[in-house]
Amino acid sequence: MSQTRILPSRAGDSGSAGDAPVPADRLPPRPGRHRGGLRTRLELAVLLGPALVLFVGFVLLPIGVAAYYSLYDWNGFGPLTDFIGLGNYHKVLADPAFQQAVGHNLIIAGLSLVVQLPLGLGLALLLNRRLHGRSFLRLVTFAPYVLSEAITAVTWALMLQPDGFVDQVFRAAGLGDLVHLWLADRGIVLYTMFVVITWKYLGFGIILFLAGLTGIPPELREAAALDGATPWQAIRHVVLPLLGPTTRIWVFLSVIGSLQLFDLVWIMTSGGPANASGTMATYLFDRGFTRYAFGYGSAVTVILFVISFAFALLYQRFALRRDIDGALTRMAG
Amino acid sequence: MRGTGTRRRGALAVVAAATLALVAACGGSAGSNASGKITLTWWHNANNDPGRSTFKAVADAYHKAHPNVSFKIVPMQNEQFQTKIPVALRGNDFPDIYQQWGSGSEATQVQSGKLMDITSATSSWISELGTAPSGWQVNGKQYGVPYDLHIVGFWYRTDLFKQAGIDAPPSTMDEFNADVSKLKAAGITAVAAGSKDRWPDAFYWEYFALRECSQDTVVQAIKDQKMSAQCFVKAGEDLKSFLDTNPFQKGFLGTPAQQGAGSSAGLVANGKAAMELQGDWELATMPALTKDKNFADKLGWFPFPAVAGGQGDPHTVLGGGDGFSCTANATSACPDFLKYVSSASVQQKLVTSNTITLPTNPAANASITDPTMKTVLSYLQATKYNQTYFDQALPTEPGQALDSAVADFFAGQGSASALPKSISS
Amino acid sequence: MSGVSGMTGVSGTGRVPPTASRASGASTAPARKPRPRSAGTPFAYLAGLVVVGVTVIPLLFVVVGGFRTTAQINDSPAGLPHPWVWSNYADILTSSSFWRFMANSALIALVDTGLAVILGSMAAFALSRYAFWGREAVYALFTVGLLFPIAAAALPLYLLLQRIGLLENPLGVAIPEAAFALPITIVILRPFMQSIPTELEDAAVMDGAGRFGFFMRILLPLSRPALVTVAVLAFVTSWNAYLLPLLVFTDQSHFTLPLGVATFQSEHTENTAAILAFTALSMVPALAFFVFAERRIVGGLTGAVKG
Repeated sequence: MSQTRILPSRAGDSGSAGDAPVPADRLPPRPGRHRGGLRTRLELAVLLGPALVLFVGFVLLPIGVAAYYSLYDWNGFGPLTDFIGLGNYHKVLADPAFQQAVGHNLIIAGLSLVVQLPLGLGLALLLNRRLHGRSFLRLVTFAPYVLSEAITAVTWALMLQPDGFVDQVFRAAGLGDLVHLWLADRGIVLYTMFVVITWKYLGFGIILFLAGLTGIPPELREAAALDGATPWQAIRHVVLPLLGPTTRIWVFLSVIGSLQLFDLVWIMTSGGPANASGTMATYLFDRGFTRYAFGYGSAVTVILFVISFAFALLYQRFALRRDIDGALTRMAG
Repeated sequence: MRGTGTRRRGALAVVAAATLALVAACGGSAGSNASGKITLTWWHNANNDPGRSTFKAVADAYHKAHPNVSFKIVPMQNEQFQTKIPVALRGNDFPDIYQQWGSGSEATQVQSGKLMDITSATSSWISELGTAPSGWQVNGKQYGVPYDLHIVGFWYRTDLFKQAGIDAPPSTMDEFNADVSKLKAAGITAVAAGSKDRWPDAFYWEYFALRECSQDTVVQAIKDQKMSAQCFVKAGEDLKSFLDTNPFQKGFLGTPAQQGAGSSAGLVANGKAAMELQGDWELATMPALTKDKNFADKLGWFPFPAVAGGQGDPHTVLGGGDGFSCTANATSACPDFLKYVSSASVQQKLVTSNTITLPTNPAANASITDPTMKTVLSYLQATKYNQTYFDQALPTEPGQALDSAVADFFAGQGSASALPKSISS
Repeated sequence: MSGVSGMTGVSGTGRVPPTASRASGASTAPARKPRPRSAGTPFAYLAGLVVVGVTVIPLLFVVVGGFRTTAQINDSPAGLPHPWVWSNYADILTSSSFWRFMANSALIALVDTGLAVILGSMAAFALSRYAFWGREAVYALFTVGLLFPIAAAALPLYLLLQRIGLLENPLGVAIPEAAFALPITIVILRPFMQSIPTELEDAAVMDGAGRFGFFMRILLPLSRPALVTVAVLAFVTSWNAYLLPLLVFTDQSHFTLPLGVATFQSEHTENTAAILAFTALSMVPALAFFVFAERRIVGGLTGAVKG
């Protein structure tokens, strides 16, 4: 039965379309025979009920409550009486520190697209070859993703100390001129952070792309080669277009992740020096939990959500369309 | 992560600190059953020895004298404590006794309605502790009792000062700046700063404010949460000129205060920097940061220097203390236990075990043996006014905003005139 | 909300994998012909080497650092152990608290993963193979959960757990974590289940298996690669979680490994080497789990595993 799943799910669309005639756009996945009926409803309740109860109870409800708090000037201790409507929202949006934080999130997201995307794609293409120790390589590249953010941050903070491991290695390699105050220089710290982020998450992208590549039948590239295409042309004109869905899902996950970036930054710099590495989430944490400005922090939560949501909608509208299920399917199998 | 606790114990755990000071808590509430037996849940942040076992011994001794009272002690890593206590107080599952730093943050917590008013329960004995307990009052009511005191000043390396040709510690800012130049000329990092943690930076601005402003001005400004007097701007200008002398180690903006040999306290402990503006807990923090068993012999202490033309008394000190609060669930056993902790015998035990450095009960002062700490103590006894750290004296939100603003100022952001306004934004 | 549903590619409106093609394509796909090695292979090895180096060095820094003394680390951060010190690791491995932290973490991660996978696959089954009014709205609701980090709801969540008496209880961590893991689980499983041919279901129903029988005996085994993937995601997230365990546990005997690492750090702040050793050991289970699961993922990817 593995055949069922290894089947390149794009093959039907792109090549052997012969037996995929269903313009499936509006077709319900299952015929209506499951519709209605007490028994069916019962089955649905049994199947969906537990997950819905858990999800609504432990995710949506608490978040809804937080959104409610955001309308109050509240430090979390006294009674919830000081209703100020959208007052918190006005203050958050007008705060230069918050505006900077949004900028940093966007820079990280942008850098991810410009740097991690080609890097991850390129490495996936290389690792997709028949190399000795390929599965070891894949294992290694994915390893940082398994480590907790806390361990990652502590390790890198240690290595990046002035005159620490990184500086020592740079000097030993004759690159002493490149040594900087990695975490203390306002002009550098955000980019240092980006390097650590790349270390931690690049493996996930590589695995995703490898999964996508597995879904492309080698026959297509071989056919291209027979037509006289160079390997580069085959990649450019055959592989990359077919990787479109995978790429778009990666971009989606990467941007959402960049917008919610928290643990690594908080542990390594607390958003400093002077907000130079602050993100929306570290701002949220600082106001909501260090300063006890709980209503205010809740407003930041809501704004963070709205921004993520807006991105998701726009991205869906203009880029994603119907790709995600295919890409994730292939990631899984 | 505030609180002198952090400072004092150097806790740190990057991970925790880090990761989230978010939330939570739970601990039993004082169970009291029919037979009159009481169990007090006690959260403190002395999760290392000697404090951990000393507090255990104190509780055991109390239990022995009062067999109906037993304890469930939960020593907690400081950052975890900071995260859990506010959440616990928002819920119904909070401890009976917990670490309390007084002043503004205590006032914030009192709003939860979960703290016990122990004014009358303590009235008969609290005067033994002098004026210190007033910092644990909110609106004239006692909600906590301190068990030790803190004072901020310069810790310095006598060996490095000698090496740079400095005979006596400075007493004015002019002398101080001259000493910085001498140290730098001798190739020594003059001052260590732990700016990653933000709160050590605030000490500088607060001290400049205490030197520039009169005591009344400071007290009123904190009460009103409004620092409009010109002297507060002057404090920022003083700080700016000081920062312009580049007194700190390389990369100080990313340096933690108390974690590891590379922290600001570690630099001084290892002789890699000549001094640091820190609390008396510095001495207790350092053994963990250096292999040098005799570092204490090379340390000296001097108060923050006088500033020419300032309105403030040059002997005013900045400080605070650690204490405990009782919560509404606890019975009268709780304030009685605090009385026990404040007693001369327990205070002496806390000092001799190195759990605390400066006792609140003067009867225990004689137990202090370290010569440098004796200097600190005598200075503290001679001072007329001890101002609680501003970030602690103010309610939590403006206090933290002030720390952030000063930290930004250290990083070259903001202006001297904007600094005082940070607390009312 | 319908927009949201579209956002995650919901397939009611989306691409329904042409099942016929899938089924027939299956017969061609396993053709795994050995491909000739191309000229770029040495370059690929070089790149592989660089990737391994960059990835592994920080890990080695931690693991090797655990074999040094703090003095060695302070003197030369990039040096090798000289001499090798075994006591850091030995001390931790012989301390009961380390093993207790690990057992707590494992219990919570297993319950969390089990809940997320079981409930998630049931929900995904309903959302992929039943047609009912409001289906896309329900799916959209789940997908919105992707946009929230757990920290966003920390305080209300704490108060809720307190009210239902789940503080100091492993379930107080496992259940909310499972709830937060449901969105990604369902988003991955649903399209996967959708792509499984109708014919199989029809055949199962004809054999008298019923829809539950189809679900248990055919759909779930067929979905194994996707199930492994979501299980890995849930497990890793739970294993690394810090905030929620901190929220729920006060008693140290209930602590999970991340809380234990933090506690250990504060209790041994001077001993960088011991902290590195503890950190290294706490990485092992997550990495080991991944080594185990990764084979299956790669297996799923390459079709090498027979389902």
